[in-house]
Amino acid sequence: MAAPCRHVGHHIKRNGRFLRINLDQLFASRGLRWTSALQQQGEEVHEESKEPIVIPRKKSWSSEAVLEALASTVHRDPTAYPYQFQDDPYLSPRTSSEFKLFSLSQESGRAAAKYFVSNNPKFFTKDFAEPHIPCLMPESVTLRLEEVSEEALKERITLRKVSAAVEMYDQLLQAGTSVSMETTQELLDLICLYCDKNPVQEGAPEVEDAEEAGEETKRRKPKGRRAADHLRTSWKENNNAERIFNLLPEKDSRCYSALIRGMVKHGAYSKAFSLYTDLLNNRLSADVHTFNALISAVPDVRDKFNERWDLITELLNQMNEQKVRPNLLTFNSVLKALRRCGFLAKTYAPQTLNEMKALGIAPSLATYDHILAVFYKSGSSGPNNTDIIQDMLTELEGTSFTCRDPHDVYFFSSAMRICLDSKDLELGYKVHSLVEVGDNWRLLGDSYQQSVYYGRFFSLLCMMEHIDVVLKWYSRIIPSLYYPNPQGMRDLLQALDTDGRLDLLPTIWKDIKTLGHDNKVDLVEELLSLMAREEHSPEVQESFAACALDVKSVFDGRSSMEWSTSSLSHVTTLLLRANKLQQAWDMLLLFKAKNRVPSEVLLNNFLSVCQSSGAPKRAVELVQLAAAFCLPATPVLAKTALAEFQLTDEQRSILSEFEAAPEKETE
Amino acid sequence: MAASLSSSGCARLMTALARSSVLYNSFESRSLHVTAVCCKNQAARIRIGKGDKPLTYEQAHHPHQIAHRKGWLSQHTSNLKGVEGAAERTVEDVFIRRFMFGTFHGCLANEVVIKRRGNMLVVCALMLQKLPPQKFYFLIGYSESLLSHFYKCPVKLDIQTLRDKAVYKYL
Repeated sequence: MAAPCRHVGHHIKRNGRFLRINLDQLFASRGLRWTSALQQQGEEVHEESKEPIVIPRKKSWSSEAVLEALASTVHRDPTAYPYQFQDDPYLSPRTSSEFKLFSLSQESGRAAAKYFVSNNPKFFTKDFAEPHIPCLMPESVTLRLEEVSEEALKERITLRKVSAAVEMYDQLLQAGTSVSMETTQELLDLICLYCDKNPVQEGAPEVEDAEEAGEETKRRKPKGRRAADHLRTSWKENNNAERIFNLLPEKDSRCYSALIRGMVKHGAYSKAFSLYTDLLNNRLSADVHTFNALISAVPDVRDKFNERWDLITELLNQMNEQKVRPNLLTFNSVLKALRRCGFLAKTYAPQTLNEMKALGIAPSLATYDHILAVFYKSGSSGPNNTDIIQDMLTELEGTSFTCRDPHDVYFFSSAMRICLDSKDLELGYKVHSLVEVGDNWRLLGDSYQQSVYYGRFFSLLCMMEHIDVVLKWYSRIIPSLYYPNPQGMRDLLQALDTDGRLDLLPTIWKDIKTLGHDNKVDLVEELLSLMAREEHSPEVQESFAACALDVKSVFDGRSSMEWSTSSLSHVTTLLLRANKLQQAWDMLLLFKAKNRVPSEVLLNNFLSVCQSSGAPKRAVELVQLAAAFCLPATPVLAKTALAEFQLTDEQRSILSEFEAAPEKETE
Repeated sequence: MAASLSSSGCARLMTALARSSVLYNSFESRSLHVTAVCCKNQAARIRIGKGDKPLTYEQAHHPHQIAHRKGWLSQHTSNLKGVEGAAERTVEDVFIRRFMFGTFHGCLANEVVIKRRGNMLVVCALMLQKLPPQKFYFLIGYSESLLSHFYKCPVKLDIQTLRDKAVYKYL
């Protein structure tokens, strides 16, 4: 493009005066490339001079528009390791337990670094980041203020030191200084949130007081359950929160709110309701969070379905009276409580939805999940009622969700459960396409929920789809998104069997080994029985025999795995079919070693293979082995061997002994 | 120690003579005796030996091969014209190398490569498979977090593992 411009420049330099006159001629005659488009457009304009030129409005792009456009060209790579791990085969997890172990060890490394940084802040205070990055500065975890004052109390509250805060408050009260209402409210919030216990510090050893009665129960439970124990803390009678609350001269609605929500969170449901009645008696009004907590506690304070529903309606009416506007969580708690109201749910859930619509609150995935739970009870097969979920999915198609309720993550797995129960493949694909919209994959939940979802999806596919499609999905989601459990592998084997693709069994065996399921004896036995059931083409038989030898080495390598008669006979059959006589003979010796008896069919099979490969010595040994097992088939074997083989006299004499065996046995 | 400083034996004689200040200049004077300079490079060069010492590619090539057969171990833009901070980057690199050597003790198979992209520090290391993977991840999480807090920028580790050191030749 530079050359024509140079020509123009040159021309302009030479004929400056004539330029303006000759400009049009110049453009027309030279036919410069960079004006040819304009020239064409000019011609068009001359032809259609009626049409006005519309200059489009200037588009404004966000600063990341280019990056987003580039990112949209790249899709998820199903062969890549999960991004949180290093890109190395030694360091990538192959089973779900390894996944958990590696991610937890990385987290604990980070926690260890944070511990060092917080405990030695003087080495990390130099700040050269511009702009300042607050999350990379050391956090203060140690208390600075030691004197008895409100600032010290506030500091303890911000650092979440529950017991120290309570102590400081008591000291302040004893000293006679009054604590401001706001600080007291924050203190109550803190105690109720953590149920009067210090939150577990990451990395620091737990120091538990010996006086609390709950301690003994904790010690009795095994160590592995400690995390779950801490989640299910129980509200103790007259703990610090209640004590401080009772000492307060005037209790306002925020204090009540903190107490009620804390009680509901930690299991003291009836107390929460009695405190609520106190609140009503004092003619105070509760806020929306308190009401949400109370509604969610309703099924635990009433037993009968209609009583529960009556209490919920009463609470909602009071909410209306107190002019408190419900939010999404209110309706979700109503639906969650309705789940435990039996047959009433089907009547009242649609009404609740209508109320939501009237108030203009958009439902979240948790709402839909509760509705699905109400209308589709697990276990009962309702193949005709897929209308509700069909309508739901059609309405939600293409929508991208954000998490607005912690319960949102259960939607996809329950939807997939319904698809699996009703064996509806199209529905399953619809649910999965909803997962693939935008960022909806984040709403699949933690790794356990994700594995449940993909497990159900994969079982549905194995049950209903053609094997080629199943294998396509298999390569797409395993193992990058999902590590199948033994049941999943069994479903896959069944799918292979149904569609007659048993030649793929050796590759599946390799995957089973990688996933760490080769120690599940029944899975391995099922694999062996599928391989040994029928005769296949010679190449397939060769691969099966190699696979069988691999299985044998796995069994030998692990002391916990026991050979059973069926697995031994399957392996032997497979080896015989591939004419591997020596290895098959080793297997028969293994029978003897493990005290299992080979079947007659197997021995006949062996004999025929010996005959086809011409190993008379083997045949004799076989008959001797059969005799050692005291099998009733021994004389028949001996007879066939004598008849069909070329034997030496010595061998003949041995065999004729065995021919006479039954008479010996009857004696 | 080819210096000709007087030994203690004749020190008394020396002081006596010095006090008399008669023979001070003509007798043994304090001087510095140096050997001839041997103009020889010895940085990062492993000399040829018996033939039993295994060397990696990095160690086997001398520094004048950088940009010919070797690359750089530390990549940043501070050495361009008009960009400051080369010395600080060098000091950071030295600290990071010692930190990695100490944290992943006995596991490093080769030199650590440090790359700076934007405000991110990428530390690339080749490790031996001496530790089980969960221990590696613990150390990786720990180093990434600690170095990020120390340098106030995101630090990422790129680890690749080998079974043994990759030997290029024996010297």
